Parts: sequence; C-alpha cells; structure tokens
Amino acid sequence: MAEEIQKKLQKELEVLSGVQKEYHKAVAQKQQLDSQLNENKAVKEELMLLKKDAEVFKLIGPVLVKQDLEDARQNVAKRMEYISKEIKRTDNHIAGLENKQESLQENLNKLRNDLGKLKIKA
Amino acid sequence: MATISSAPAPGMQQIDLSKLNLPQLAQLKQQLDQELNVFQDSLQTLKMAQGKFVESGESVDKLTPETKGKTILVPLTESMYVPGTIADSENVIIDIGTGYYAQKDIDGARDYFKRKVQFVTEQMEKIQMMGIEKSKAREAICMMMEMKLQAQAQAQGQGQALKATRS
Repeated sequence: MAEEIQKKLQKELEVLSGVQKEYHKAVAQKQQLDSQLNENKAVKEELMLLKKDAEVFKLIGPVLVKQDLEDARQNVAKRMEYISKEIKRTDNHIAGLENKQESLQENLNKLRNDLGKLKIKA
Repeated sequence: MATISSAPAPGMQQIDLSKLNLPQLAQLKQQLDQELNVFQDSLQTLKMAQGKFVESGESVDKLTPETKGKTILVPLTESMYVPGTIADSENVIIDIGTGYYAQKDIDGARDYFKRKVQFVTEQMEKIQMMGIEKSKAREAICMMMEMKLQAQAQAQGQGQALKATRS
C-alpha cells in the first residue's frame, strides 16, 4: 500500500515539475512580448511625432528601404494589435498553468498525508 | 517596523513578519535578493542605453552647417576606415526601433535624443525607488530573522540549563 502511494507520489511530482517548467517558459514568453510591445509603443509615438513629409526607412537585411509614413504607422499599429492578442493568450495560458499547479500541489499534499498516516500505523 | 509592504503591484499585501517562521523568512529574503539583482541588471542596461543616447546627442551637436563638404573617416569595421565627405549636414537618419529609421533635421534629432535620455533617466529613477523599497523590506526581514534566531538560541539554552539542573 505504502509503495503504491509512493509510486503515485513520484508520478505526481514528475507531472508537477513538467507543469512548472511550462509555467516558467510561459512567463518568460510574456516578458518578451511585453518588451516588444513597449518597443513598438515607443516607435509608434515617434512615428506620430514625425511631420507628414518626413522620410521613413525600414531596415530589411542590410539595406534601408524607403517607406510611406502612413504605411509604417499602420504596420506598427497592426503589430501592436497582434502582440496584445498574444499577451492575452499567454496570460490565459499562465492562469491555466497556475490553476493546474495548485490542484497538483493539493493532490501531492494529500498523498503525502496518506503516506505519513500509513507510516505511523506501520 | 514589523509590518512591511511588499510588492507595490496590484497584489499589494501587508505581511506581518513576526508571524512568519524562519524558513519562510529565508525564502522571502531570497526572493527579494533575486528581485534586487534584476533591478541591478536593469539599471546597468539602462545606464548603457542612456550613455548611447547622450553620445549620439553630442554627435548631432558636432554636425553644424559649416561641416558640409568636409571630409570624415567612415568606419567600415571597428578597425578599418574609409574617407568620405559630408553631403548633407542638415539631416540625419535615426534608428527609432523595431527596424524603422526616420530622417530628422538637426533640431529634431537633438530633441529626439534629449527626450530619450529623459525617458531612460525617468525609468532609472523609478527602478531606484523600487530598489530602495525592496532593500528596506530585506533589512526588516534580516532583522526579524536575527531576532528569531536569538530567541531560538535562548530557548535552547534554557532547555539545556533545565536538563543540567535535573541531572
């Protein structure tokens, strides 16, 4: 009986560490997205400050290609929209993983308790 | 002094340090140490960015109408230069981030770098303030740990003294 619980415990621990790994990955991803959003925000502000006839270039590989200012503004706005969506998605993912971790932790505690009781009996 | 506020974020919570046990305090301290390290790193990075903006701003100041047509050495790599002439001393092209470059006149460029330096400086100040808060919290935790350790040592000492008198 004790061995069975021990095995279960081991398995649960493995699952938990897997979830934790995924959680850390998701958090890192969110941070990256956040910084991308911030950079895009700064660029958008800068593009808004430019005069209508200002020249804007985009770095494509090693060359600067001239771009239409309006196009550039729209492009950045679109990018920000996309990144915001990604952030929301990642947030949901993180919340889900948090819930999963909690329930796993509870399960683990229960198993540990059971094991402890068995040991006392034995 | 015993109650400190940790995490000024939305999840602001007051924790009574005296109610925590030693391992919990140690964990909290470790967490704060980690956060302080992140702050330190961020400050370093910001300082570097600030330096770059200041440097660029100074370079803009050196580009006056008189410099037009003058020869300069253009770096092809860090250690190889070719001679060139300044064709346009009124406009510069600035990297505004995410692969976009914008042409600005000298005044515009000067303004841009001034704004950027100001922005970075503000961020640094914010982080410094947060760092001070966290350091205070860390100190409080250290003090509480010290107190708990002493109390524990005393309790043990008394226990041993009791045993000694019994035997």
